[in-house]
Amino acid sequence: MGGVLPASSGGALSRPMRLVRLVLFSDYLVLALTVLYVAALWFAVPEIISPTNLNDIFLQVLPLFVAAMGLMMVLLVAQIDLSATSIMAMSCVVGASIMTSQGGYLAGHALAPVAAVLAIVAIGLLIGVLNGVCTIVFDIPSFLVTLVTMMFFSGAAIWYTAAHTNSGSSIGALPSSFLAIGYGGIAGIPYAALITVGLAIIVHLMLTRTVFGRWVRAVGLNPSAAAISGVPVKRVVIGCFALSGLFAAFAAVIYTARLEAGTPILGQRILLDVIGAAVIGGVSLFGGKGSVIGVLIGVLFLSAVDNGLQLLGLSLSSVYAIKGGVILLAAVVDAIRHHLLARG
Amino acid sequence: MSDLLLKVAGLNKSFFGVQVLRDVGLELRRGTVLGLVGENGSGKSTTMNILGGVLTKDSGRVELAGEEVQPASSRDALALGIAFIHQELSLFPNLSVEENIFLDHFPKRGAGIPFIDRRRLRDQASKALELVDLKVSPTTPVMRLPQGERQLIEIAKALTRQARLIIFDEPTTSLTARETERLFEIIGRLRAQGISVIYISHILQDVMRLSDDIAVLRDGEVVGAGRREDFTVERLVTLMVGRSIDRLFPEREPSQGPGGAALSVRGLSQPGVVRDVSFELRRGEVLGVSGLMGSGRSELARILFGLDPYSEGEVRVAGERLPPLKPRLAMDRGVAFLTEDRRGEGLMMEASIADNIVLPSLVERSRGFIRWLDPAGLDQAARDMAERVRVNARAIDTAAARTLSGGNQQKVVIAKWLLRAPSIFILDEPTRGIDVGAKYEVYKIINTMVAGGAAILFISSEIEELIGMADRIMVMGRGEIRGFFERASFDRETLMSAALWQ
Amino acid sequence: MTITRREFSASVLAAAAAGTMPGAARAAEGGKTIALMFDAFDSDFWITGNTILKAKAKENGWTTLETISNRDQNKQNDQVKAMVERKVDGIIFIPTDNNAAIPAIRTANAANIPIIFFNRPPAPNDNKYVAIQADNRKIMQTTVTILVDLARKQGGKYKACLLMGDLGDNNAVQRRDGALDILDKNKDLVEIVSRVATEWNADKTFAGLTNAIQANPDINMLISPSDSEDTIIEQVLKTAGKWHKTGEDGHVMFAGFDGDQNGYRLLSTKYMDVNGVQNLFYEVDLAYGAFKDIWAGKQPDKMLIDPGFAISQATLESKRDDMWGYHVWKEKNK
Repeated sequence: MGGVLPASSGGALSRPMRLVRLVLFSDYLVLALTVLYVAALWFAVPEIISPTNLNDIFLQVLPLFVAAMGLMMVLLVAQIDLSATSIMAMSCVVGASIMTSQGGYLAGHALAPVAAVLAIVAIGLLIGVLNGVCTIVFDIPSFLVTLVTMMFFSGAAIWYTAAHTNSGSSIGALPSSFLAIGYGGIAGIPYAALITVGLAIIVHLMLTRTVFGRWVRAVGLNPSAAAISGVPVKRVVIGCFALSGLFAAFAAVIYTARLEAGTPILGQRILLDVIGAAVIGGVSLFGGKGSVIGVLIGVLFLSAVDNGLQLLGLSLSSVYAIKGGVILLAAVVDAIRHHLLARG
Repeated sequence: MSDLLLKVAGLNKSFFGVQVLRDVGLELRRGTVLGLVGENGSGKSTTMNILGGVLTKDSGRVELAGEEVQPASSRDALALGIAFIHQELSLFPNLSVEENIFLDHFPKRGAGIPFIDRRRLRDQASKALELVDLKVSPTTPVMRLPQGERQLIEIAKALTRQARLIIFDEPTTSLTARETERLFEIIGRLRAQGISVIYISHILQDVMRLSDDIAVLRDGEVVGAGRREDFTVERLVTLMVGRSIDRLFPEREPSQGPGGAALSVRGLSQPGVVRDVSFELRRGEVLGVSGLMGSGRSELARILFGLDPYSEGEVRVAGERLPPLKPRLAMDRGVAFLTEDRRGEGLMMEASIADNIVLPSLVERSRGFIRWLDPAGLDQAARDMAERVRVNARAIDTAAARTLSGGNQQKVVIAKWLLRAPSIFILDEPTRGIDVGAKYEVYKIINTMVAGGAAILFISSEIEELIGMADRIMVMGRGEIRGFFERASFDRETLMSAALWQ
Repeated sequence: MTITRREFSASVLAAAAAGTMPGAARAAEGGKTIALMFDAFDSDFWITGNTILKAKAKENGWTTLETISNRDQNKQNDQVKAMVERKVDGIIFIPTDNNAAIPAIRTANAANIPIIFFNRPPAPNDNKYVAIQADNRKIMQTTVTILVDLARKQGGKYKACLLMGDLGDNNAVQRRDGALDILDKNKDLVEIVSRVATEWNADKTFAGLTNAIQANPDINMLISPSDSEDTIIEQVLKTAGKWHKTGEDGHVMFAGFDGDQNGYRLLSTKYMDVNGVQNLFYEVDLAYGAFKDIWAGKQPDKMLIDPGFAISQATLESKRDDMWGYHVWKEKNK
C-alpha cells in the first residue's frame, strides 16, 4: 500500500498545513477519522471504550467484513452486486430448513449442520455464477442483473420460509452444534473470527500474489487492454461474481448462527452498509483499486459510527441524520483528497 | 499598429522545484503561421498552456498586440482572443454542431431572458460553418461526424469568439489525408484573414510546408528560431534532438535475409471487413502495410491476433493452423500485437509501469495450480525490460503509466510484448504521436528484433517510415490487397497511387 | 422520516450536555433508566405506544433511552448489547422476528436486566422474559362476531374481502385466524371472495384492494387487521364508488382493528361498523407493573394478556375512553 505524497508543491507550506496534507493524503485517513469519532463520543458515553463494548464492535464487524470483501471483488472489475444481501437471505433459509429440529430435512442428524453449511455456500456460489453469466455473456449491465436477482431471491426466500413453516417468519430451533459458530471458539478466539481472518488472508494473498488477482485488477482498470494482453476477461468477471456470492454466503453462516434462525429478511438493511464500507475503505467504484485492509478500515468506521449512535440512545430520528452526516463527511473528505492528488 | 501580434519574452516556469521553461521567447506576426517543434518534454505544451491560461508563469512577459496580458483561466484567454485547439478535441459528442459552437455564449431571446434563441443560433452557426467550408447541417449531433470534421467545428468555435490567435496541438494525428489537406487549406485562409496560427506537430514535413516562421524548443529553451526558409527537416531534427542524426532511420544490420515463413495467410475474408487476403510474412523480415485510413489494415491485424472473427480462409503460424478468436493461443504461438490505440487498448493508465509490462506474461511466470507469483521476480523482469527499451522513468513499480510521455508509454507497450520474446510482432502505428528521439529508439528496437529472427508486420500511415524500415510493403485498400512492392521499387508516388486506386 | 432542525440541534446539545456530566449526574438522579427498543414506526399504534411509554415512564420518575432497528433483527440484537453497556434497568422490546429475537433475551439475561416483549412475544424458549400480548385472535373473533350479527340483522348475502397484514408478523396471523374462526362458522351468510396480504405496506394495500374490487365488484364486507390501512381503504372505496355510511345504500360492512384515531373517526362518522381495540394503556401498565415486580424480586407470569375489546357504533360513547385512538383524535380536534 502506498505511503504518503510528498508535501512539497512548488511553494512553501506552513508546518500545520503540511501536517494536514500528510494526514489527508494518507491511506489511513479513515482509520484516523474512526479514532477521532470514538474519542469524541467518549465524552458522552465513556462505555464506548469498555472491553465488552469493544468486543461487541469486533463481533459486529466480522460478518460485515466478510460480505464487504466479497463485494470488493465485484467492484474491482468495475461491476456491482446488489443481490449480496438477497443471497444471504436465500442461502440461510435453505440451510436452516435442512438442519432445523422442527421438521428439517436432516433434523436430528449429527451431520445436519455440515450439510446445511455446504448448502448455504453452494447456493451463494450458484447465484453468484448466475449473476456473472447474465452480466458478461448476455451483456446486461450488472446493476440491472443483480437488481433483478436481488428482488427474485428476496421474494423466493420469503416464499420458501412460508412454505417450510406454518406461521413463522423465520426458521428457528437450529442445532446447538451449528449455533456454536456464533458463540463458541477455540482458546478464547470465536469461530466467527477464525473464519473471517482466514477468509481475509486468502483474499489478500489472492489479490497480491496470484495471477487471478492481477487479472482482476487489469480487467477493472482497462478491460480492452486486458483482453489484448491475453486475460480471459469473461472468466475473470464471472469468477468475481461467484466470489461475491460465496462470501455473502459465508457472512450468512455467521449471521444465522448469531440470530439462531434462518430469516428471509436477513441483511435486507445492510446492503448500503456493505457497499458503503467498501467504498469508504478505498475500493473504487470504477474498478481496479481496492485492498483487504482498506475494506477492513471501512467496516470498522461504519461499525464504530453505528455503535456510538446506539450507545447514545438518542431520539430515533436524529440517529439517521447523524449517521448519514458522518458517512457523508467521510465521503467528501475522500473526494477532496482525490481531487488534490490528481492536481499534484 | 505593429505587425507583431504576440511577443513572449523571458518566460520561466518550474514544477516541484524542477525548471521546465527557461527564458523562453517567441514572436508571432499577424496573419502568419509559427511552427513550433520540439520533443516531448521540451516545454511546448507548457508554453502553450501558459498562453492559453491553463497555467501561470513564474516570471516573464506576454504581450498581445502590444499590451501585457496574464490570462488566469481559459475563459480569460478566450476573451483575449486566444483559442487553443487540443489534440483531444473538447467537443460534446451528444450535442449538436450548433450547440457545441455556441456552448458558452448562446444567443438569447433578449437581455436577461434565459431562453436560447434557436433561430439566431441556427443562422449564426451556419455562418460559422461557412467560414470553415464545412457542409453539414448545424443540427447534426457531433457524434455522427468524423474526426476531421469535428476539428473544423473546433475552428469554427474559435472563429465565432473572434480569435486572433489559434493554437493547433498535433492536429493531424487522427485525420485522413484528405482531411489534412482541407485543414491546411483552412489554415491558409485564416492567414489571409489576418489571424495568426501556432502550429505544433511532430510531422516535420507538414511544419515546413505550412509555417512562415519556426521555433524549436529543447529542454525548456528555445534553441532555434527564424524564418522557415532558414531551416531544413534535417536541421530541425538536429536542433530538436541535440545531436545530429544522419538518418531518421537506423541502420539495419546485414542479416542473412528473410528465412522461412513465420506467418502465412491464405484467402482470409470477413464480409465487410477484408476480402481474400493472402500473404506470407517471413522470419527476419519487416513487411510494411500501407494504405489510407479505412483500408482495413487495423482490422486485418485484429483478425490475425484473434480478437475479431473471420469467415473464410486460413491463418498459419509456423505451419500450424491458428483457429479464429483465440488471442491466448496466438500469444502462446509467439504472436504479439501492438494496437494503434495505446491509451485505450495498450496500457492500463492507472497501473504502474511494472504492472503493465508483466501483464501478458503472468501465467508463464506463475507456479502451481493456484498460479502463485513472485512479486520480486516480476519486478526484476519488468525493470530489465524497461531498461532494454530505455524507458525514462524513475520508479518503475510505483509510477503510473499515465505520468509518462507518449513516447515512453509506447516503449512500455513494446516492452510488455518483448518480455514474451515473440517471434511474430504485429505493430499498428507504433510511432504515432511520439517525438523524433523516441521514434528513433523504437526503430532501433525493431531492427534488433528483426536481426534476432523475428517477423514484423508494420502497419503505418507514414509512407516515409515504411520506406525507411520495411523490406517489402503490402498496400491495402478497401479491405483488399492492392499490391506488393519490393525495396527496390519503393517510391512515394507509386505507393500512394496504389492505395488510392479505386 | 423527517427530523426537524430543532430536534436535531436538541439531540446534539443533549449529547454534549450528557457529555459534560458523565456518570455523576445520572447517578444523582436516583431513578431508573429503561430502554425502549422499537423495530419501526410503521403505524399510529407504535407512534402512540412510544408516546404513552415515555409519558408513563416519566410519571414513574424513570429516564428513557430509545433505539430503532428499522426491521433488522440482527441490528436490534446488537442494540441490546449497547443498552447493556449503558446499564439500563429494564428493556421494553419490540422485535421484528420472533425466532431471531431469542439471542437478545440471552444477552439481557446474562446481564440480569429484565426484558419485556411488548405486544409481540418471542418464539417459545426457555430463557427468562415477560411478554405482553393482546389476545389478537380473541379480539378479532369478538369484532367479527359483532360484524356478522349486524350483517345478519340487515339481511342479505355478503361477499367479503379479508385484508391480512404481514404474515411474517404473528399478530397479523392471529388476527387473520380470529376472523376466519368466525367467518368459517357463518359460511351461509358470508363468502370470502378475496384475501389480500398487505405486508403492512401502503402501496400493496392500495393495489391489492383495488384489484380485489375490480375482480369482485360486488364486495360488500371488508375486514381490516389494522387501522393504519384506513385512509387507503377510504381512498380505494371512494374511487370505486363504494364509500357509504351505515344505513345508506351500498354501504360496505367494515371492521377495523387497533383502535387508532382513524378508527374512532370512521366509527363516529358511521363509515365503520365495528373496531377491535388493543388496550394500549392497559398494556403499558402491565409492562411497567411487571418491571416493578421484577425489581422487587417477584417473578410475574411469562405471558401477560391484554384482553382488549370491540367497540361498535352502538357502544361508541360508553367505551371510547379506553380507546387510545380516541384520545389522540380528541387532542387533534380540540
